[in-house]
Amino acid sequence: MANATLASRTAPQDRDALPLFEARNISKSYGHVNALMDVSFEVRHNEVVGLLGDNGAGKSTLIKALSGVVTPDSGEFLRKGQRVNIDSRRKSEAAGIQVIYQDIALVRSMSIMRNIYAGREPTGPLGFLKMGEMRRTAMLILDDYVRIAGITSPDLMVEDLSGGQAQAVAIARAVHFKRDILLLDEPTSALSVRETEKVLAIMRELAESGVSCVFVTHNIYHAFQVCDRFVVMAHGRAVMSVAKADTSLNELTDLIMRH
Amino acid sequence: MTGPIIRENAIPGGDVALAAGPPNAAERYRAKTPWTRLRLHPAGPVGIMFCGLLAGCILAALLAPQHFFFLADANLKLLLRAVPNFGIIAIGVGLLLIAGEYDLSVGAVYVVTPFAMASAYSHGVPLPLAIGLALALAVVIGLANGFITLGFGIPSFITTLGMLFIVRTSAPFIVGYARSVGFQPPASFKDAVVGSLGPIPAQFVWFIALAAVAYVLLNRHFLGNHFFAVGGDANAARFTGINVFRTKLLAFVLCSVFATIAGMFSVTRLATAMTNPQLFIELYAIAICVIGGLALTGGRGSVIGIVLGAGVLQLVQDVIILARLPGFYLDMFVGLMIVLGVVINQVVRRKY
Repeated sequence: MANATLASRTAPQDRDALPLFEARNISKSYGHVNALMDVSFEVRHNEVVGLLGDNGAGKSTLIKALSGVVTPDSGEFLRKGQRVNIDSRRKSEAAGIQVIYQDIALVRSMSIMRNIYAGREPTGPLGFLKMGEMRRTAMLILDDYVRIAGITSPDLMVEDLSGGQAQAVAIARAVHFKRDILLLDEPTSALSVRETEKVLAIMRELAESGVSCVFVTHNIYHAFQVCDRFVVMAHGRAVMSVAKADTSLNELTDLIMRH
Repeated sequence: MTGPIIRENAIPGGDVALAAGPPNAAERYRAKTPWTRLRLHPAGPVGIMFCGLLAGCILAALLAPQHFFFLADANLKLLLRAVPNFGIIAIGVGLLLIAGEYDLSVGAVYVVTPFAMASAYSHGVPLPLAIGLALALAVVIGLANGFITLGFGIPSFITTLGMLFIVRTSAPFIVGYARSVGFQPPASFKDAVVGSLGPIPAQFVWFIALAAVAYVLLNRHFLGNHFFAVGGDANAARFTGINVFRTKLLAFVLCSVFATIAGMFSVTRLATAMTNPQLFIELYAIAICVIGGLALTGGRGSVIGIVLGAGVLQLVQDVIILARLPGFYLDMFVGLMIVLGVVINQVVRRKY
């Protein structure tokens, strides 16, 4: 078994050489649609991986599988060589994974503050909310990461925000609660040029400070700007993994077009 | 929404101005007039309606004390005794509605579980145990509603409609064929539950206490945050790691328990439990929630809205009785309010 080979191959001293996180032979189908077919994917330490591919290539499904909200039909996950079970968002969070979803995943009828802490509320004894702390830090969280015009109060409802503002809230939330892996599924789709640049810069900073990022995007120029490595997906398969040094913008574009 | 000015594509340097900080920005949010903020609050419209009705009643009573006995001591006490009845059920239904589900079975739970309590007590079961039995039954029914709805992905409207009939007709199996059973608890219990605290009927005090508990749960407890989240957008809630199943299950149980508590108050007051169904209780409870500004689509609402909604409903009923109008006017009003309530909520949201 692949697992056994890996275990014997890796002595404890070169644990750092192991990928930070690994998905092996992941398959997922919806009825007759094979969204993912035998996809293996790894995230190494201190890197930004670009996950590229056309619409319907399986990028978002892979992100959802990695974050536990979609359970694969087969395959396994490993964190630093250890098998981990990821079948809920809580488990993936415990495995160090934070996510910015393409569809933003904010509850529109709740305030920014309540959204930021949804599912991870700071509580005192008996589960009562620390409202003061929530209110104080919510605004700081927003200001720290993606400062965006027009977000003026943590009590604003998400439904009153523009698409870009909502995306900024989702980004700030994920970046604030990050541990060592951040998955970003089309994080800049609703952002302006300036805000996009900010998000790209954040990814670089995070990678250097030890938080590896998986960047899903349609925009190959953005990907080329920040990623250390690229994984190209097509029709539910991972067809290619290449380091930035070994490829060029033209070659990548060509690859995506060809498949 | 006109309050905060949304500038999506900030001009270069635009966000530098905002770097001056939230205080300046927060001010802009507060700059809305109090009147606008009141209207935008989920309980705003019902609050305005309640105050208007109350003022109208008081005015009418002052102008025509001979004909309109609104301010008579007996009438006020009657009002305060009547509000908790539907009000307590509506709090439970409202919590569940905020979590994004319906419960029509409360109408049956309200009747059957307290009947079980009275029946057990009349057969010599100690009172705390009899109360525990009724609450346990409520929990079981709530769990059944939840497991069936969530486990099979059925609309809760259907599950609980079925449960309404099942529970209503299963009374004989649980408690025998008696149509009614007396309930004569110790006087101390009766006083505490349905006596009075000074001039105020005890059950009104309990109602406010239960409302306070629900308020704290919704607004100051992490579970409340989860209720709003799963009701507002179950998928987004799941994506943030909230256990949607468990959260909604808890809401189903709470809803059943509140209906049972309301039934226990009623049985204690009347000293009798009856199995003949009181029709439309579940619909009145939902009507109160809608009047109170809760969204039938889940995720929006407030306990204050529910309390005021219950107040509005009883005030209207009181006016109808005092004005000696036929009883069906109440149902007509309720029907109108359900439709109007939804329309008002929709219009208010669109416009601001």
